[in-house]
Amino acid sequence: MNSAIEFQNNEDLVFFGKVNASISHELKNILAIISEAAGLLNDLTELASKGQDFKLEMMKTCSQDIIEEIQRGFGTIKQMNTFSHSVDDPLKRVNLIEVLGLMINLAGFLSFAGKVRFDPPEESAPIILTCPWRLQNLIYQSLVYAFESVGPDGEIQVSLHPQKNGSARITFSGLGTKSARTFPVDQTIQIAASINAEIGMTGDSHVLDILVPQLVESMR
Amino acid sequence: MKVLLVDDEKKFAMMLSKRLVLRGIDVDYVYTGEEALVMAGNSRYDVAILDVKMPGIGGIELKRKLSGLAPGMKFIFLTGHGSETDFEIGSAEAAYYLAKPLQIEKLIEILHEVTA
Repeated sequence: MNSAIEFQNNEDLVFFGKVNASISHELKNILAIISEAAGLLNDLTELASKGQDFKLEMMKTCSQDIIEEIQRGFGTIKQMNTFSHSVDDPLKRVNLIEVLGLMINLAGFLSFAGKVRFDPPEESAPIILTCPWRLQNLIYQSLVYAFESVGPDGEIQVSLHPQKNGSARITFSGLGTKSARTFPVDQTIQIAASINAEIGMTGDSHVLDILVPQLVESMR
Repeated sequence: MKVLLVDDEKKFAMMLSKRLVLRGIDVDYVYTGEEALVMAGNSRYDVAILDVKMPGIGGIELKRKLSGLAPGMKFIFLTGHGSETDFEIGSAEAAYYLAKPLQIEKLIEILHEVTA
């Protein structure tokens, strides 16, 4: 087997594991809140049944929190489902705004995630034929580095610039200097190359660019 | 017993603290490690319940800083992760390491045990 392909497959699995771990963490947090809200409701009804004041406002807050967290859970599971199905087809037409939105949401589950400002282009969404899995990996790695670079209180901007030839440029700007590592590393550049994309810092190291072609005829 | 609860999941911290208060435990809660250090500088706590994964100062680092401020303080870690590695690190650093969602009675039992 070609060693480059073998390596990239391993990278793919690492990516899958990292994202799933962060989703499970998010779901556990949601369940923990629901558990505490239900527990508190139970505590309050127990106290009321023993003759103490009926704390209606607090009970309403608990119920509302449970409803909100269930919605948050549904949203998280929907994203998990979309992410899981991105491996169904090695090559697929994808809407770049949707892919970026999904990756921004999933990277947002990381404990060190900062804020992201994403302004989708006003013109129609760029649709490209690519390997969704590898593209997601590339975007996710870029977001992780961007978060590290600004710290949890920082903010980065993600922009999408459709090019005249049908390709698209994804830009991560506002990067800081807090990350202890350099990016992109050789493995990241190889992942980009496998879908004929290019990744790199611009001159001042505060902006990271990914150039994605409109079509990938075959994947390396 | 005075407890400091630190968790960046705001609703979780607020509701858990209310449930502990209903069980007679004196609790202050904050959402960040930075706030916890300020609180520990102003008050004396017997136990700190710390979320392991938090933005900024994480639970493990916070425990070390709080230990420096208050050498007698006991620690219980909370986590939503629960990986083998997390468990090993957490167990080495604190008296107890609990995975979310919590069982409140188990937490109460542990609080009494570490402060006995």
